[in-house]
Amino acid sequence: MDGPRSFLDPAVLGRLMALPLHARHAMLGSVSGKHRSPVRGSSLEFAQYRKYVPGDDTRRLDWRTWGRSDRFYIKEFEADTNLRLCLLIDTSGSMGFGPARATRLDYARKLAGSLAWLAAKQGDAVGLWGVAQTPVAIPARRGATHLGLVLDQMAGLRPVGGTTLLSALHDAAERIRQRALVLVLSDFFVPPAELKFAVQHLRFRKHDVAAFHLLAAQELAFDFERPTRFVDMEGGEAMQVDPSLMARNYREAVAVYLRDMDEVARSTGMDYYRINTEEPYDAALARFLLGRTPKTGSR
Amino acid sequence: MTFLEAAPLVALPVAALPVIIHLVHLYRRKQVPWAAMMFLRAAQKMSQGFSRLKQILILGLRVLAVAAILLAIARPLAGGWLGLTGGAPDTVLVLLDRSASMEQQNPAIQLSKRQAGLKNLSKAISDAVGTRSKLVLLESGTGNALEIPDAKALLDLPQTAGTESGADIPGLLQKALDYLTANKTGQTDLWILSDLQKGDWDRSSGRWENLRSAFKNLPGVRFHLLTYPQSPEEDLGIRIRDIQRRATETAAELLVDLRITRKTAPPHPEEIPLRIVINGVATTTKVTLKDSELVLQAFPIPIEKNLVRGWGRIELPEDAYPANNVFHFVFDDPPPLQSAIVTEDEAETDALVSALTASSDPQRKAVCAVLPAKRAAEIAWEKTALLIWHAPIPKPEDALFRQLQQHAASGRSVVFLPPNVPDDSEIFGVRWGPWSNPQKPLSPDGWRTDSDLLANTRDGAALPVGTLELSRLAKITGPGIPLARIPEHGPLLLRALGTPGAYFLGTLPGAGSSSLAREGVVLFVILQRALNDGARTLGNLRQQVAGAGALPEDPAHPWKAADEKNGPGETRELGLRAGVFQSGERLHALNRPEAEDDLAALAAASVSELFEGLDFKVLSDTLESTGSLTREVWRTFLIAMALALLGEAILCMPPRRTQETPRVGGIFQEPLREK
Repeated sequence: MDGPRSFLDPAVLGRLMALPLHARHAMLGSVSGKHRSPVRGSSLEFAQYRKYVPGDDTRRLDWRTWGRSDRFYIKEFEADTNLRLCLLIDTSGSMGFGPARATRLDYARKLAGSLAWLAAKQGDAVGLWGVAQTPVAIPARRGATHLGLVLDQMAGLRPVGGTTLLSALHDAAERIRQRALVLVLSDFFVPPAELKFAVQHLRFRKHDVAAFHLLAAQELAFDFERPTRFVDMEGGEAMQVDPSLMARNYREAVAVYLRDMDEVARSTGMDYYRINTEEPYDAALARFLLGRTPKTGSR
Repeated sequence: MTFLEAAPLVALPVAALPVIIHLVHLYRRKQVPWAAMMFLRAAQKMSQGFSRLKQILILGLRVLAVAAILLAIARPLAGGWLGLTGGAPDTVLVLLDRSASMEQQNPAIQLSKRQAGLKNLSKAISDAVGTRSKLVLLESGTGNALEIPDAKALLDLPQTAGTESGADIPGLLQKALDYLTANKTGQTDLWILSDLQKGDWDRSSGRWENLRSAFKNLPGVRFHLLTYPQSPEEDLGIRIRDIQRRATETAAELLVDLRITRKTAPPHPEEIPLRIVINGVATTTKVTLKDSELVLQAFPIPIEKNLVRGWGRIELPEDAYPANNVFHFVFDDPPPLQSAIVTEDEAETDALVSALTASSDPQRKAVCAVLPAKRAAEIAWEKTALLIWHAPIPKPEDALFRQLQQHAASGRSVVFLPPNVPDDSEIFGVRWGPWSNPQKPLSPDGWRTDSDLLANTRDGAALPVGTLELSRLAKITGPGIPLARIPEHGPLLLRALGTPGAYFLGTLPGAGSSSLAREGVVLFVILQRALNDGARTLGNLRQQVAGAGALPEDPAHPWKAADEKNGPGETRELGLRAGVFQSGERLHALNRPEAEDDLAALAAASVSELFEGLDFKVLSDTLESTGSLTREVWRTFLIAMALALLGEAILCMPPRRTQETPRVGGIFQEPLREK
């Protein structure tokens, strides 16, 4: 696929269509869909029995149970609804890390674009929040036209300036009123303790939070040999570093950070995926989609 | 630090190359756009102190390595002990202690302290200074300054040969000070080669204070003391106190008062062989040493009956200090003890004449001539051992003034008594003050008991000086050594400074002035001792201490060793050597000073005290040491370079990855899920 939406690969999309996107928590959609709703509805999926109270629809009385126990029970069924997929893409300067046309943001764009397309295809609403100093905010809606708008906006994202990820997450928690699958694509180069508050804010709003933590292997290994001048991609001060003196401490700092990130994911219930940007993005997507597929017999 | 090849030192700034390269690299480093700056900042925070220190250490070690290789190529020279050489000064002044004690030697290698010190010093100066500095020798024997072309000459010069004389180190330093001041020597290294023997250094002398302050005012003078304070573990020494010839009708013998000392008492009685040489003929006898000292009074040595005049020596077996293993002597029939009294009041002379004519030696005749002051010119100066001058001091222009000075300078004695009317005239810097008559008789409250005229008797008993009653006293004004002192008056008896035989007595012996004549003992001892001291220079025999001026020059009769076979081979500086020397009819026996028998050295603290405030270093060597004062130390620099490179390599070694360090492949695992 050429043009601005070249980040979408039809072959990949074709392969991934067999893996539907599932919400891990009940969604409150406006239309019927494939996702579990917190309210009871009229689907074929039995949910539970409950005692009859005056005012209940008598058509939903289970007469067989009345016959066996001489008590009135209402038979309730699951309600299926659609999902709101809110894509939060970090567009800070650090997302430009990597070779030209294969930056971290390019990788995030491929992941987010593919998921948006898949979600739209299964009738879910898709929205886009570009986490940057000039934020992009497209609320989640259904429809091919809206998908086109989201993809176009996605294609126009550029990695510039310092990160506003934390404030953007808090902002999204406030602005996304209905339950949604909030998918954050970022390098998360922010203090994990502060990130934890932001994620908890989203979770408090009943959102299903998933995170694609995009990291380059070089950033973790720090396998430089010669003294190097490191220029901050987010506009900060450059640093003269002799890797032979610094590498050990750098790796220790990375280890501590990753441990803290794992802890954030555990404590907040965030669906956390640490992704090597050198890994094929379709594999990462497949891992994500498979990981969210409900186990047999459960919803 | 001195270098044998100075050219490579020009390249020493190259040592800064690692720092320059580091700075260049700092600005030419590859730039990398980096996203994960938070880890870099955290890492920097963690390793800020050590990382910087490590970097500085690495750079320092690299600089050190380059500098060390350049210095090694330049062949640095350093002191064997303390890094002595600090560049070439304008002048190197060598002060050599040639005293007898410097001849103490290591028997194994037959090298004396003086020889070992000169060898080390010569090499050190040659290596460190070469011929770049003016080299001057100032030795204790003659006290003359001698400019020498090359430090190696120190080993061969007759002026550096051993002597049996003493050394006056403060006097030598004074001469060095005079030389430095007169010649404006600039930056000067002053080397003192000595064994620090207490007697030679005379640390209680008041001259040290003056020397210290004078040297402090001389900029650029550094002192290096090369010392050999070690004394031998065992040492036998011999000294003859007195020798007399006694003849009977059938035989003759020499009666010798001698003292043999041993450093430590032998565990068992030890037989010591004595080799006695009389006029070149040697005999051997044995004495038994039971303690650390053996004193033999009137030890008889038989001689031929008709041998009246001669020379000899007594030798002990040679040990580590050969200078005190032999003592030389001469003998002859002693001349009469002749004295003279010049007086303006003959009533005062009776007691004096009685004391002077009552000789302590019955075999020796004692005569005394009494002359009124007007007939002083009739004094037989050549034969008079003691002159008592009870008259006004002659004026300097008077011939008698010069004759009195010469009399005292030739080693004879003169005792001045106060004239009836004192005037301003002075001699030897001393003059008479006015008479005083205290209301009640005074007595001396202190007198010198260790030496000189009022010394204790041979059995240790003090003279009854304190019982003297003095009713008339004349003040003695001028420099001198007081031998007895009267409270609130001043000296009663004073020896003139610098002239051992000139004494001033501040009273008269008569009953109108003192109880000297009445009590008698003190007067007798004073006069007899002065007479005997003066008599030593009578006749043609002398028993003297070796030293400059011990053998007065006589062009008509040059001095030569009496024992030509065993005497000093070198005919120059004979006065500094021990032995018997003759010149015409004169026969002089020279021996080491008594102070040279005591080999005790100054403590290090005392040396520091003497040179306090001056730039000095003390290098203590031993005769057993084979080390050199200077040596090439390029190996040290090569080792330093190797160590610097090794250290740099260790510091540059990449840290070992531990388990805490994340493995890149292991962190992209299955997603973390809520349990």
